[in-house]
Amino acid sequence: MPGKDYASTRFSALNQITPANVGKLQVALTFSTGTTEGFEAPPLVVNNTMYVVTPWPNNVFALDLTKPGAPAKWVYKPNPAAAAKGEACCGPVNRGAFYDNGRLFVNLLDGHTVAVDANSGKEIWRTQVADIQKGETITMAPLVADGKVLVGNSGGEMGVRGRLTALDEGSGKIVWVANTNGPDKDVLIGPNFHPFYKKDQGHDLGVSSWPPDYWKIGGGSVWGWISYDPQTKTIYYGTSNPGPWNAPQRPGDNKWTASVFARDIDTGQAKWAYQTTPHDLFDHDDINEIILADLPYHGGRVPVMLRPDRNGFFYVQDRRTGQVLSANPYGYVNAYKGVDLKTGQIIPNHALDPKEGRVTRGICPASPGAKDWNPSAFSPVTGLVYIPHINLCMDMAIQNANYIAGTPFVGADVKMYAGPGGNRGVLTAWDPINGRKVWEIKEDLPLWSPALATAGGLVFYGTMDGWFKAVDARTGKLLWQFKTGSGIIGQPISYRGPDDRQYIAVPSGVGGWAGAVVAAQLDPKDPTAALGFANAVKDLPTKTSPGGMVYVFALPQ
Amino acid sequence: MKPVRLTVSVMAAIPVSGCAGIQTALGGQAVQSSDFVSLFTIFMVVCTLMYFVIVGALMWAVLRRRRESEACTVETGKHEVSTPQSRVALIAWTSVIAVGLSALAVASFFTDRSLAAAARNPKLAITVTAHQWWWDVQYTPVDPSHIIRTANELHLPVGVPTEITLKSDDVIHSFWIPKLAGKQDVIPGRVTDAQILPRQIGQYRGQCAEFCGAEHANMALDVTVESMADFKKWAAAQLQPATAPTTPLAAAGFNYVTTRQCSVCHNITGTPANGQVGPDLTHFASRKTIAAGTLPLTTGNLYGWIADPQSQKPGSQMPTMQIAPQDLHAIVAYLETLK
Amino acid sequence: MSSRFRNSAAAAVALLALLGACDRESRNSRGQPLGETVPTGASPDTIYPGNSQPPPLSAQAAAYQNNAYAISQGQQLFTQMNCVGCHSHGGGGMGPPLMDPKWRYGGRIDQIAASIAEGRPNGMPAWRTKLTSEQIWQLAAYVRSLSGQVPKDAVSARADTLSNTPPQTQQTPEPVLPAGSAQQ
Repeated sequence: MPGKDYASTRFSALNQITPANVGKLQVALTFSTGTTEGFEAPPLVVNNTMYVVTPWPNNVFALDLTKPGAPAKWVYKPNPAAAAKGEACCGPVNRGAFYDNGRLFVNLLDGHTVAVDANSGKEIWRTQVADIQKGETITMAPLVADGKVLVGNSGGEMGVRGRLTALDEGSGKIVWVANTNGPDKDVLIGPNFHPFYKKDQGHDLGVSSWPPDYWKIGGGSVWGWISYDPQTKTIYYGTSNPGPWNAPQRPGDNKWTASVFARDIDTGQAKWAYQTTPHDLFDHDDINEIILADLPYHGGRVPVMLRPDRNGFFYVQDRRTGQVLSANPYGYVNAYKGVDLKTGQIIPNHALDPKEGRVTRGICPASPGAKDWNPSAFSPVTGLVYIPHINLCMDMAIQNANYIAGTPFVGADVKMYAGPGGNRGVLTAWDPINGRKVWEIKEDLPLWSPALATAGGLVFYGTMDGWFKAVDARTGKLLWQFKTGSGIIGQPISYRGPDDRQYIAVPSGVGGWAGAVVAAQLDPKDPTAALGFANAVKDLPTKTSPGGMVYVFALPQ
Repeated sequence: MKPVRLTVSVMAAIPVSGCAGIQTALGGQAVQSSDFVSLFTIFMVVCTLMYFVIVGALMWAVLRRRRESEACTVETGKHEVSTPQSRVALIAWTSVIAVGLSALAVASFFTDRSLAAAARNPKLAITVTAHQWWWDVQYTPVDPSHIIRTANELHLPVGVPTEITLKSDDVIHSFWIPKLAGKQDVIPGRVTDAQILPRQIGQYRGQCAEFCGAEHANMALDVTVESMADFKKWAAAQLQPATAPTTPLAAAGFNYVTTRQCSVCHNITGTPANGQVGPDLTHFASRKTIAAGTLPLTTGNLYGWIADPQSQKPGSQMPTMQIAPQDLHAIVAYLETLK
Repeated sequence: MSSRFRNSAAAAVALLALLGACDRESRNSRGQPLGETVPTGASPDTIYPGNSQPPPLSAQAAAYQNNAYAISQGQQLFTQMNCVGCHSHGGGGMGPPLMDPKWRYGGRIDQIAASIAEGRPNGMPAWRTKLTSEQIWQLAAYVRSLSGQVPKDAVSARADTLSNTPPQTQQTPEPVLPAGSAQQ
C-alpha cells in the first residue's frame, strides 16, 4: 500500500543499505511508462511483482522482478475519459494503487474505481464513484481494509460536494457514503459522535455553518490520505478546503471542511471530528497524511496521530478523542497566531484577511501550505518525522466567484513566491514528542516528493529538478544523490527483491500543482497561472522537463 | 407674454415636483431623512431671512439719497467710524450674523448627534452589493444559515435601526433612498455603510446616485417599510427554497432555466441553478419590478424582458438570447411560480 | 476665398476624416440574436482534400475582432464564466495558456469561438447551450487579445483584476502558430 502500512509510517524495515554503503548505490533497473504527466504513485511490490500506476490514462503495469530487466507480465489500460483532465485542478495525477488479496484497486481520474486481478491484469469490477460533469475527479490512492475499498473524490476548487465512499471489496457495490458537508444524517454523524472540543459540538453543523445551500457546493473533498487502526477499526482522514476560495461569500465556520474525521470502517459512522481551520481563508486543506503511533506523553503511552498540516502547524492529537496535545509551527507562519489548546481553536491573524477588491500581500504559508499532499515518513528507530515541505508566501486577491457545475468555483487570484530565507523547499526532521525541529535541509526548489525512512538509518526524497537524495536519518548529512531524467514528485519505496537484496525505487516525472508550469507548458508571464504556483517556480522549465520513468537502485553485487 | 408665463410656470413646477412622489428627498419618512429635512428647513429659513435682509439693505443702500456730509467725510480722509449710529449698526449686524451662523452650527451639531443616536445599536444588518446595474441585497444575521438573499428590493421593519454595509463589485455607485436615507458612495475595494431608521410604513424607491455606466438611470431599488409582523412573515418566506413547479409548462420552464443559459448567471435556491453573477431569482415573483426598477413586474413585461432585455436596458449584462416561443412560455410560467 | 475661410474649411475636412476612425467604438449590445452563429470548427489548419479551399473568415469575425466593446465585454465574461479558474489570466493552469503563441486548436478568432462553443476533448467544456453566440464571439475576441494579436487601441489599458499581467496595451504581440503547435 502507498503508506507502507495502515499507520502511514512510510518506514521500511530493511536495513541492508546503510549510511556506510549508500554512497555506492547504483541504478539496477529502469522502466519508462510512456506517460509524461506528474508521476506521484509509489510502485507497489508484492510477490516479486512491481505494480506501476501512471497518471492519466492511469495505465497499470505489472513488472516481473524475477526476470532480468523486469519485463511486464501484463498491462492494464482502463481508458478513462480524457475530459477528466479538464476537471483536475492540479495535474491529472494518481497517488497510487492498493493491493489486497490478489487484487489491485485503482482509482481512475474520471471518477471510477476498478478492481484488477493482480495475476492476469483483467478488470473484475468498475464502479462510478464521482461525476466529472459536476467537476469531480479522483486522484487519491484508495485504502482497502476490512473488506471495504475507501475512495474519496477530488474537486475542492470545483464546487463539488466532498465525500468518502466505501465500496464492497468483492463486488464493488457502494456500501456507505460519508459526506463532508450537510445535515448530520448525510455526514454519518449519529449518537456515537463525540467531538472533543465545544466548537465542534452541535446538531447539523454541516448546514448551520454555511449560508443557505452553500454546503451543497462547498467542497470538503477527500483527495488525500487515509490511515487505519485495525485494533479499534477506525479510519482517520481529513477533508479539503471549502469552496469558493473567496471566503466572504461563505460566512460561517463551514463545517466540516478542513477537518479531521475518525470513523468506524464498518458503518462509516463518525466517532469524533476536529475542524482544524474553521472558515478557511487560504486553501489550507486538511488532507495531509495522518501518521499513527504510540508515543510517550504525560507519563504514559498515548495512541496519537501525527500530522503536519497545511496551515503550518504540526498537530499531535490523541486519536481516541481528537484532543490536541500539541500544535507547533514547523514552517514560517504569519497567517495564524497559534492554536489554543484549551479550546482547540486556531487563532487567525486578521490583519492578513483577504478582502474583496483588494490585494493582501505576504501571507505565509501560501495556499499549498507549509506542506501539501506529499507525505512525510516516521522512523520508530530515531523517533523523528521527516517532513519534505515548502517555504512559500503569497499575495492574494479575491472577488465574487460564480458557480457553474463542471467549472472552477474559486474567486481568487494568487501569486506565490519564496518565503523568508529564499529557499522554496525544506526537509525538516521533527521531534513529535517535544514539538520541535531537530535538523533541516534547505532546498532551492519546493519539495513536492514524499519521503521514505529506512531501518538502515537513511531518509530518501527527491527534488523537483530530478535529484534523488539519501541523507543520514540522525544528522541530515547528504550521503548520496543521483540525477534522474525528470523532476521527482513521487513516493520512493524500498523492497526486498527476489534475490533477497534491498532495492530502492522512485518514480521520476515532474508535474502536479507545483510542476504544472513544466508538465502543462504554462506561461509564467502571468504570475497567477496554476493558481499562483507558476510565479514561484518560473525557473523550473530551465531545470527539468516532463518525464515518466521508474528508477530502481541497489548496491553493487 | 403667454410663452413667457408658460416658461416661468414650467420652471417653477420643476423644483416643486421634487417635493412630492415616491422618491422625494423632502419626504422624511426615516429618522435620517427627517433629520436632514429639519436641518434643511432651518438652513432655508435662516438663510432666506438673511437673504431678504441683505437684499433689502442693499436695495436701500442703492436707492436712498446720499447725504452731503458722508461724501465729504470720505474725501477728507478721516478713517474713524463716522457716527455712533454706524458703530451700533456694525456691531448689531455682526452679532446677527454671528448668532445666525451659530444657530446653523448648533442645528448641524444636534442633527449629527441625532443621526449618531439613530445609528447606535442597529438591530438589523444588511449587506448591499452594487453591480452594474442592479443591487444584490443580503440580510446577514449572525447565523449564516439564515442569510436571506434577494435583489433590487429592500424590506425594512418600521422603527428598527438598520445598518447597511455597502460594497461594490465593479465601479463606484451610490446608495440613495431619498425618502429614507442615503447618498452613501459605494466604492469597489472598500466597505462603506449607511444607517436607516424608518418611521413610516409605506412604499419607497431608491436610486443609484453616482454615474456608473450606460444604465445608471435604470438602477432603482424598491423599498418596503412594513410592520414587524409583516417583515417576519416576508423573511420566513424568503428563507424557503424555491417552490417546485406543479404544472407541465412550469416544469418545462424549470428544465430550461436550470439547464440552459439562465443557470449560468442566476441563483434559484433549491434548484441546480446556482449562478452567482446575476440577481437572485428564488422569490422573483414576489417583487414589484424587473431589472432594478426598469419595468413593473407584469406578465407582459416579463415576456418582453426575457425575450429581448437589450431593447429595454441596452448594455445591461443580460444578453438577448434566441429563445423559441414555446420555451419563452415555459420560462415565464415557471418564473411566475417563484413567489 | 480668404485664408481664414480656407483654414476653417481644411480643419472641417480633417475633422470629418477623423470620424472614419470611430468604427471601433461602435457598441452593438444586442448582437443579432436570430442570425448570429458560431462556426462549427471549420479550421484553416486542416487538410482540404481534392483541391478545395479553407473557408474564408466570416463577416462576424471582422465585426468582433478588434472591437473595443466586444473585447471589454469578453474580459468581463472571462471572469464570470470561470475561464479564469482554468486558464488564469492567460497563463494557464488546469487549461492551457492562452497568452502564448502555441495553440492546440487554432488561434484565429473563428477557431477560438468554435473551441468555446463546442468544447474540446481534453477537458474544455462546451458552452454553446449556455452562452449566446454574441457572448462567445466576445470571449473569442478577448482570448485573442491575450496573445497580443489585437491593435493597442482596442484593448483595455487596465485589468479588472489585481496582481497579474502587465496591461494589454503594453504586451508584445505573439505570432499565431498553427493548431497543434501546443503539442510540440
